[in-house]
Amino acid sequence: MSNSVNISVETTCENQIREIGYDGTELYQPPPTLSESLAKCAARIDFSKTSLDDLKREEKSAAAAAGDEDNKDATQFQESLWPWDAVRNKLKDALTEICVLSDVISIAKDKRYLVLDPLLEEGDDTKPIVQVYSRKKAISQAAQVLLGGAERLRNAHSEQRSRNVSDFHIELLRLRQNWRLKKVSNAIIGDLSYRTAGSKFGMSGTFEVTKAEEALDDDTVSTSSSSSTASGNNGMQLKASSALRVIVPAELQGVAYIKVITQKDQEDLCTAQVNLMGHGPNITAQVGVWQKTLEFAQNVLFCKELFAQLAREAIQLQAPIPHVVIGNQIRATLLPNIQLIISLCHSTTFDSSLPAPINDHDHVLEHSLHQLLREVHYKNSHHPFPHPASAPLGPTKKRMLAGPMAADRETLLDMTKTQTILEQIIAQAQHIFMRKRTQYVLDTLARDVKDPQIVSHWNAMNSPTMSCVKINIVTHGYDAIGRTSLVIHVKERSLKCICRDGRVMRLSYEPQELRDLILCQINSHQISCLISLARCMAWTVLSNSNHLGIGKVEPLGNASSCLLASPNSDRMIAVQIRCDPQIDVKVYIARSPRQDFFPSPLVPEKLWENLGGNFKEVRFDKIEGKSFLNKMEFLMASLTSNSA
Amino acid sequence: MGVTVLQPYPLPEGKSGAHIIDQLGKRLLALGATHSGQFLVDCETFISTPQPHNGAPGRAVHVLHNSEYPASTFSIIDNGTGKQVSLVADNIFDLLMLKMTNTFTSKKQTKIESRGARFEYGDFVIKLGSVTMMEHFKGILIEIEYKSCVILAYCWEMIREVLQGFLGIGVAKEFPSYFATQTIMTAMGQQQLHAKHNDIYEPMDTVKQYLEQFTNYRKHVALHGGMVSGGGQGGPTVGQPGVHIPPSSMVGMGRP
Repeated sequence: MSNSVNISVETTCENQIREIGYDGTELYQPPPTLSESLAKCAARIDFSKTSLDDLKREEKSAAAAAGDEDNKDATQFQESLWPWDAVRNKLKDALTEICVLSDVISIAKDKRYLVLDPLLEEGDDTKPIVQVYSRKKAISQAAQVLLGGAERLRNAHSEQRSRNVSDFHIELLRLRQNWRLKKVSNAIIGDLSYRTAGSKFGMSGTFEVTKAEEALDDDTVSTSSSSSTASGNNGMQLKASSALRVIVPAELQGVAYIKVITQKDQEDLCTAQVNLMGHGPNITAQVGVWQKTLEFAQNVLFCKELFAQLAREAIQLQAPIPHVVIGNQIRATLLPNIQLIISLCHSTTFDSSLPAPINDHDHVLEHSLHQLLREVHYKNSHHPFPHPASAPLGPTKKRMLAGPMAADRETLLDMTKTQTILEQIIAQAQHIFMRKRTQYVLDTLARDVKDPQIVSHWNAMNSPTMSCVKINIVTHGYDAIGRTSLVIHVKERSLKCICRDGRVMRLSYEPQELRDLILCQINSHQISCLISLARCMAWTVLSNSNHLGIGKVEPLGNASSCLLASPNSDRMIAVQIRCDPQIDVKVYIARSPRQDFFPSPLVPEKLWENLGGNFKEVRFDKIEGKSFLNKMEFLMASLTSNSA
Repeated sequence: MGVTVLQPYPLPEGKSGAHIIDQLGKRLLALGATHSGQFLVDCETFISTPQPHNGAPGRAVHVLHNSEYPASTFSIIDNGTGKQVSLVADNIFDLLMLKMTNTFTSKKQTKIESRGARFEYGDFVIKLGSVTMMEHFKGILIEIEYKSCVILAYCWEMIREVLQGFLGIGVAKEFPSYFATQTIMTAMGQQQLHAKHNDIYEPMDTVKQYLEQFTNYRKHVALHGGMVSGGGQGGPTVGQPGVHIPPSSMVGMGRP
């Protein structure tokens, strides 16, 4: 009791909020003053219970609680114990317990009725060294794991650098960069067909990709290292050790190409090969063997599609001389005695040596066939513009415009005519042949005929089925006097010649017709240049004719002629040019007055001698002069007399 | 696609249309023409449904097809005051008209067509058409086209000669009424004489001529329906421009 502890109990100093202002300030109720609290407590006095017993009871309870001294307020105002009742009870309980505790401790200290025993604790019997060992073991195990991982990484890294047999996945990545692959359950299937480019060919071009069976043992490592040091170009043998293998279908294995030959009576005129190889960048050096395999297989597929298309068209088309399809060869007739042979050559033995180069390899036909099939593919996948929202997709722009432009029936019919690949290639081959023939005729004529020079200018730009050539016939030295020009349009089976004077002539494919035409043009060139020359020399042109109609009947038209008179009219020159196989020139001169006039009883006057004498032939080949015009110039010069 | 001229053929009394066409066809074949198929020109008219309140006639849309231009549909809007707007379109235009039934109703009873044989005679294409409206025969319409020329003024004489040659009736010297000189307003607002026979010919002109002829045939219905009896001579001369029907004894000559 003397060691009493002072406990202070106080209320929280919170006052009730009387009012909250509009700006948030709170107005507290002021704490009740002493007189107010007194008044409050006094109001609580229950005068009906004010008996001594109650007062004593309350005193006792107040005294019992005096050990842990209360607030003075609690003892002064007994009535106010009621609000503090809970506090009082709790304090009372606390006191009880502490009393009990002090009793127990005092009894235990006495050691007569209660003894305090300490609890047995486990001693710390592990020595620090054992700890160290255990930690060391744990750490070494962790180190093992880490070292093992690092070792693996280092091995893989060094392997990567040292070995030249690539990893399967790297190869697969490269394969995937070039070809379309997809994974179907367990296998990897690829597609090398042209289906995404618009081809509708039935043969499937799927190939399978597998891991290469051969393991990386010492032999292959050594051979690969030796081959890498050798860096030889031994074809397929170099990259034999690839990590993956492609399996192409049996019908696409090997090498194929399409051969186009133009044959004239068993004699090869020109050949062409269609082959996809040799196009595109050469990437086989970097990637493995599979690239070449796949490229060859794709080539085989392309050639097969092209040949199948051509064969189908050959059977369907109605040509005057029917096309013949035998096995892997298609024969078509271009012109009489000229045949076009298209054959598919497919060799399954994997021979890396190229076939022997054939003379007159025609790259044009080869490229054309390739382009034509690609055009078919393109048309299959691309619809021509415009793409209207309210009309069907597919017709060409011309057909779309045919309605609003009121196209008539013939125009519409023309729009529906299309040419198949075979027709197009035949047209191109025919044109190539016609062009070669025309060139040959013109060149031989230019070589053989020296007097007027035949100059031919071929157009640099032409279409696959039409070329143009402009021919100028000039005499050397007399270019300013006159020149004969004509334009020849070389088409597939015919020629069209347009002369300077507007005449249009259509010739067939016979070379003789062109030769005849040029000879006739030379003929008229000589005469027209002679007329111009005569004018320069002051000679009068009495008459000229392009088609005399005299002499024997010739296959090549008739003679053309010209009659000239000298400035003094005392000499006349008559020129006649024929062109049966060679150009044949005859020149005659006459003089006036005639030398052999003798007056006779019928014609007595002397003046009749001025009528002019007979024409006498000149030995034209003996006259000095380089060309016909040159000789004529000299002749005219010599016959011009300078009498006043 | 050359200059085309339409020539209505007057039906002589007592003969049927089919007989006349047969006769003309035989004449053409005897001249050396070749029969090359059939032709059809038809016209359907749509009237705008909400009639305007001020009593003016509603707008009419005429939709015509010509088998000579099978990919096209021709359409002419007539707003009653004589102004015409013409259009050449794809065949899909017909489907468009089907959708316009709210604004335009089709008067099925005025669907009129000219159908018959087509002959090719050198550079000429001659079509003998019988005009029918709802299965009633209305008349004979001859179409002649000279394929080599596109300006009427250059070839009118030749066309007239060929027509007179095989039809046997006289054809007036003046240009057909469609090609007559008209007064038009220029962009400046001035009135100007415009000679249509010097213009380059278009397929639309053929169709407009057909429309003119068909309109005349339709008016005949109205006229004949209105006229009670007799006196039919002076009546239907409206629809036959350029046809001069002389007495049989004089063809192109003065009175005896």
